Amino acid sequence: MTTLQSSEFPVASMPWRNRSRKKIVAIVLASAAPLAITFVLAKMYEIPGLFALLLVFLPLQLLSASISSIAIVGRRGIADAILSVAILFLVGIMVALLGSTVVSLLIRGFKALSIHALYQNSFTITSITSLDYGGLGHAILGTTIIVGIAVTLAIPIGIAVGIFLTETRSPMNAAIRFLSQSLSGLPSIVSGLFVFAFLFLTGLVQRAAVLGSIALFLLMLPTIIRLSEDVFKLVPQELRFAALALGAPRHKAFFQVVFPAARSGIITTCLLGTARIIGETAPLIVLVTYLPSTNVNPFSGDMAALPTYIYTWLKYSTDFANQRAWGGALTLMILVGILFTMARYLGRKKI
Amino acid sequence: MDHKSYEMVNLKFKVTGRGDKLFFGVSRIAAYFAFSLVFLIVIFLSRASAGTFKDQGLAFFTGSTWSDQDGIYQIFPMLVGSVLCSLIGLFIAAPISIAIAYFTEYMAPPRLARALTNIIDLLAALPSIVIAIWGSFVFAPVAAGWAQLLHKYLGSIPGFKNTSEQFLGSPFIAGWILAIMMTPIITSVAREMIGAVDKDLVSAAYALGGTKFSTMRRVVLPTAKGGITGGILLGLGRGLGETVAVLYVLNLLFVVNLDIFEGHGGSIAPMIAAYYGEASEKGVSALLAAGVALFLITLVVTFVAQTILSRSERKMAS
Repeated sequence: MTTLQSSEFPVASMPWRNRSRKKIVAIVLASAAPLAITFVLAKMYEIPGLFALLLVFLPLQLLSASISSIAIVGRRGIADAILSVAILFLVGIMVALLGSTVVSLLIRGFKALSIHALYQNSFTITSITSLDYGGLGHAILGTTIIVGIAVTLAIPIGIAVGIFLTETRSPMNAAIRFLSQSLSGLPSIVSGLFVFAFLFLTGLVQRAAVLGSIALFLLMLPTIIRLSEDVFKLVPQELRFAALALGAPRHKAFFQVVFPAARSGIITTCLLGTARIIGETAPLIVLVTYLPSTNVNPFSGDMAALPTYIYTWLKYSTDFANQRAWGGALTLMILVGILFTMARYLGRKKI
Repeated sequence: MDHKSYEMVNLKFKVTGRGDKLFFGVSRIAAYFAFSLVFLIVIFLSRASAGTFKDQGLAFFTGSTWSDQDGIYQIFPMLVGSVLCSLIGLFIAAPISIAIAYFTEYMAPPRLARALTNIIDLLAALPSIVIAIWGSFVFAPVAAGWAQLLHKYLGSIPGFKNTSEQFLGSPFIAGWILAIMMTPIITSVAREMIGAVDKDLVSAAYALGGTKFSTMRRVVLPTAKGGITGGILLGLGRGLGETVAVLYVLNLLFVVNLDIFEGHGGSIAPMIAAYYGEASEKGVSALLAAGVALFLITLVVTFVAQTILSRSERKMAS
């Protein structure tokens, strides 16, 4: 009886584990060398940053990636190496821009934020008043009211359209979907102008914050329609038919079976839609005049909102005014971040 | 039984009973409201600006003067500027978006891909006023430096001239800002389309000895091409309509400018916001007319984009 020697067992090759020393050296050199050379050259010849990046670093990186890929897989690897470097470079540009935005917001915005800034208004505050006085409480309140009205209008109507598009099969469906989605390209300023022409010029509504809400509602509607339609489509048809087979009327089948199944998706939809309009500035510039003091009545008088608060302080060129604008921008970004994180967190629970 | 046959069964239901009638009645009203909004917007904006179109005639689109005192309103430089800035934006945003989409779908480990997707979605939620303040204080000086450098070496080529030595407020900077706003839109569409490419097709290409590069160029991109084009057009619509972010980085001037480094340019949407505050009654009507022009342009772009997208989605599904 012969026994198999251990060397005779077939061994899985596991090519991904195959990291020879040559390979590792090639990879390390390919990633470290161009950076080092660029750094030294830029210091020696004082090459400006952009040129160092574009005309020295990028070609060097392409070259070294090609050489290392020749070392690892042979000539066929060159195109792959170039592709990888180019893609990482392009991704890096966008991440750097976004990172710059967030970092400068945090650094400059925090200077202007304090506890009192969150609840005080800016009544009697001028562009040279120190940051110890005044704040953006009125703007936060105003944004909450204006956006709140827009959201309470947009969510029921948007969901109703979503219901129509998923629960019925009328021949108009395609046209309704197409035209309501073409509204998603509606420029925000045009939405403001439309509300101005439709409600104000015709004398239907006096100048008031609610005009801004209606403009924001128009901007939010297509998002809610599309997302809610997607969410309702995800609910399996079997659930609907089971409810109907048990004798439920269509509306009961919807509200007691389909809607609960889609609930977490709908919540995500609402939060994302709100995040999209909370910072809209252009329609508010057209429709709602900034007011430095607090006004809680959306049906009469001017009202402050965070975007117009930022917009107003940006008109001045003093340091204090600029810092107030940065503070407003950071507050707005934090609000968006909260909505966004909530949406991601709640949206993870799949239906 | 597959999904389609269920939908056919669905047709047979009749709406009876008060509850159902109310349920479908309300949703039908909402749907027709959403349907009619586009027409409402076009009708009311055109009605409010009819005076301007009558007074100015065709010169409204082809002339280059805007003067509230003389009552002359012409938007040609702004039209050209809008298109120029958006094209610069697309030139930057399209490759970046496709790269991000390819990176998240094919290169990055799942966790990094998810993180990057979240980051780009957050970018989509960045309010334009936040981009505006960052753009005017942080980015514009840096980008003006880039423009100056590029101009030093490319200045002799037509389109890259700068005669004023003033680099702030150029279409180049506005284009970058627009690229930041377009990227999330194009990326999300491109990711969907690149992700929808049949994985068997990709595996087959690899099995035949294709490299990553040849697979991308010969399999992935051609299959996803239609959808990506639609996404790029959606981004174009976004760029044409962007108001506040461009307002702060572009020096608006009623002179036709095709040189991307020259320190002035035009764009319709920010022009409306900039002139709206102190416009006379006729001026407001002219601004509404500019709004109509802008809306019709973006509407056409969005229409084409949606048609392309839904066609390529159908093709992908079959």
